[in-house]
Amino acid sequence: MSVELVAYVAFFLTMALTYAVMCLGLNVQWGQTGLFNVGVAGFVAIGAYVSALLTTPDAPDRFGGFGLPILVGWLGAALATGLASFLVGWLTIRLRADYLAIATFGVAVTVQLVALNLQSITGGPFGIGFIPRPFANLAGDPLAFSLLNLGVLIVVVALLYLALEHLLRSPWGRVLRAIREDETAALALGKNATRFRLQAFAIGGAIMGLAGATQAHFVGFIAPDNYVPLLTFQVWAMLIVGGSGNNRGAILGAILVWGIWAASAGAIASLFPPDQQARAAALRIVLIGIGLCAILLLRPRGILGEERIVSRHLARLKPARRTASNPTSPEP
Amino acid sequence: MTGPQPSALSTRALVAGYEPDLPIVRGVDFSIRSGELVIVLGPNGAGKSTFVKAIAGLVPIHSGATMLGGFDITAVPTHEKIRHGLAFVPQTENIFATMSIHDNLLLAANVLPKEKRSRRVADLYAMFPDLAARPSLRAGQLSGGQRQMLAVARALIVEPSVLILDEPSAGLSPKIVQEVFAQLKAINDTGVTIILVEQNVKAALAIADRAAILVEGQLRHEGPAATLAEDPIVAELYLGARPAGKAATP
Amino acid sequence: MNPQLIMDGLIAGAMIGLGAIGITLTYSILRFANFAHGEMISWGAYLALATSGLLGSLSGALLKPIGPFSFGWSLPLAVLAAVALTAGLALLVDALLFGPLRKRRSAVIIMVMASFGASLALRSLLEFIFTSKPVYFSKALQIALPLGGGLRATPDQLLSLAVAAILVVAIHILLTRTAIGRSMRAVSENQQLAGVAGIDARKVIRTVWMLGAGLACIAGVMAGLLVQIRPYMGFDLLLPLFAAAILGGIGSVPGAMLAGLIVGLAEALGVQLIGAEWRAAVAFMILVFVLLLRPQGLFGRAE
Repeated sequence: MSVELVAYVAFFLTMALTYAVMCLGLNVQWGQTGLFNVGVAGFVAIGAYVSALLTTPDAPDRFGGFGLPILVGWLGAALATGLASFLVGWLTIRLRADYLAIATFGVAVTVQLVALNLQSITGGPFGIGFIPRPFANLAGDPLAFSLLNLGVLIVVVALLYLALEHLLRSPWGRVLRAIREDETAALALGKNATRFRLQAFAIGGAIMGLAGATQAHFVGFIAPDNYVPLLTFQVWAMLIVGGSGNNRGAILGAILVWGIWAASAGAIASLFPPDQQARAAALRIVLIGIGLCAILLLRPRGILGEERIVSRHLARLKPARRTASNPTSPEP
Repeated sequence: MTGPQPSALSTRALVAGYEPDLPIVRGVDFSIRSGELVIVLGPNGAGKSTFVKAIAGLVPIHSGATMLGGFDITAVPTHEKIRHGLAFVPQTENIFATMSIHDNLLLAANVLPKEKRSRRVADLYAMFPDLAARPSLRAGQLSGGQRQMLAVARALIVEPSVLILDEPSAGLSPKIVQEVFAQLKAINDTGVTIILVEQNVKAALAIADRAAILVEGQLRHEGPAATLAEDPIVAELYLGARPAGKAATP
Repeated sequence: MNPQLIMDGLIAGAMIGLGAIGITLTYSILRFANFAHGEMISWGAYLALATSGLLGSLSGALLKPIGPFSFGWSLPLAVLAAVALTAGLALLVDALLFGPLRKRRSAVIIMVMASFGASLALRSLLEFIFTSKPVYFSKALQIALPLGGGLRATPDQLLSLAVAAILVVAIHILLTRTAIGRSMRAVSENQQLAGVAGIDARKVIRTVWMLGAGLACIAGVMAGLLVQIRPYMGFDLLLPLFAAAILGGIGSVPGAMLAGLIVGLAEALGVQLIGAEWRAAVAFMILVFVLLLRPQGLFGRAE
């Protein structure tokens, strides 16, 4: 295998793993807790911008550029996004299920707007450049550089995966699932469902913020255009394909969908003449939109499906209510 | 009570429940003659309510059949059943609370041919003067007893052959219960067949011709209302094996 | 304060209100927030544009402007066709996507997600067919007429306001005075009881889709006539639409229209005070305040 190919594969996988992190965050909110976030792109953007502000060198034409270490940036990104998620959740979680969806959608629109217009902080439409990349001193050696970056992402994803699996099996995770499967049963356990949901929403948001930060530092440059609703949709497609509620599925789905996305770019582009490439890009989005709807219709549990941990017991407890609170009805 | 009359409604080996693998009604053979008033009794969780909801089309039927006047209505969609003459009054939320009394009645009259609608609404107002007094009042502002009146009026507007009520006395004071039951008896006397699910055994037995007792989703006992009140089996099945002397108290 | 702000706000508000009526109706009957509703606005506008172009190519006389307006008879005729086509599109999406999900008793949130997918596919399909370049119903420029008190409006703008007002009154009468309107309110309040009372929920659902899509189409044509037609025009309206539907109280048609006007006026005020680039944030602020202070909306019932 040529060096270029290995470098490309490493680059591809690194990018895919940044999406895997977003997917893991969304999985905490949706897969474990049943909270619908239509503003993933907004939360990812918050993380990316916060980390960029904290770590870039001082810039004369905008606020910040604090030149802090990358790890501080990532931590700050996770904290800031977690806090933003907490506020949105606090506002809407006690209301109807889809008010949260509408509110998160509003967050995404507003974050996009702020990124675009608050030039003195976000750099406006041109975004922020010179975001420090890990192992930047090795940039001269593409192979080492890309492999080391891949290594960083693998470590991040692995640590997150282990932490989330641990959480999932902890009493906290079990209560969370119980709440999702059947609120009456969960309340009967004497737990405050709203508090648990809020915690899950904030943790999921923090992970999305971290994802935005790692991606920003891997690419080295961010702009409002990176955080359009399409991103939200891609992350959703990844989680649904992989199987919501399943952390391994979230990672697998991210790699798979990102692969399909990257491959379809070339395939569809080759069908259209150069002056029609904008059309080709639109068609690609049509196809992925139809694809997601088809998965919802045909295979609502995704490729890996969900791991059943406490749900069997609860299903026995209150069979009639399952359809009301479960993301998918049982197959007849 | 006298000679063989045509069955107004019957079920054959009816199995029904919300989940396919969890039948709540488990093979009920039931029949009611035209003009009869039958109460369905049974302990909590016996499947009384599920039984009548399945007949009305609100709970999926897994197997068996329901016949209305010799016509198989098992597969008839819920909203079509009223056109066949089967009216159902649910236990709770049995009126449209955000709509006026008049709109509630007009809504129900909608299944009738156009020329009959206003006449039937007028008929029902004549039957329930309480409702006629304030037709534009929002139904949600009615008292408990008046709500039941409106729910029954709504069901009667199509001149059903069979009227099914799921615990009409729930949440009403004893005095109002007497009024509602007297009203039901009067409706029954005009020839409407009535199936009544009740917890209020004493008051219901007083107006019923016959009683059917459901236990664990199966029909355990049937008999004339008058003798059932004194029946030790009723005491055992319905009230949980207490001496027959106390059986009449619900 | 500039009185022109009021006119701008009313016109934007009328479009938002018409769209929000569709959102509030589908929400109250189908019980989910339909993120694909914005696409009905865009599709309505493009369908009207295509039909109008087709009519114009058949007979040039149809393109001659009517009276003081910027468009010829091809547009009103095209609107009739586009309303029907948009309604058909909504029914098609329901038959292919939402209907099967409903039959399977999918959770609300699955419906929301499906609508999100449908929204993306429909929007990008427009982009694929028409590209993202803005287009217009008419190239004719209109002079704004003085209305007194410093207010000015073009004939097209006044017509749009009048059409919106007529439609709101018509929908309100439909809902409160007709059999299908009572059926819609009944299904919205209690679907089970409605079934027992002889109402076919499927028929009501079809009516709601057609009504919502038809109104969206007209809102889209208004937006196209007064601003421009872009594949993203409906999606960009989605947040104001949701804000208006929730502010008005889910299920309330007069509420949706009034709230649409409030959102439109607030946006105009926001544009004046902090700049046009922040327009979209105004709807978000309204949404946050409603959810904080009165989540059931102005005319909604507390749950």
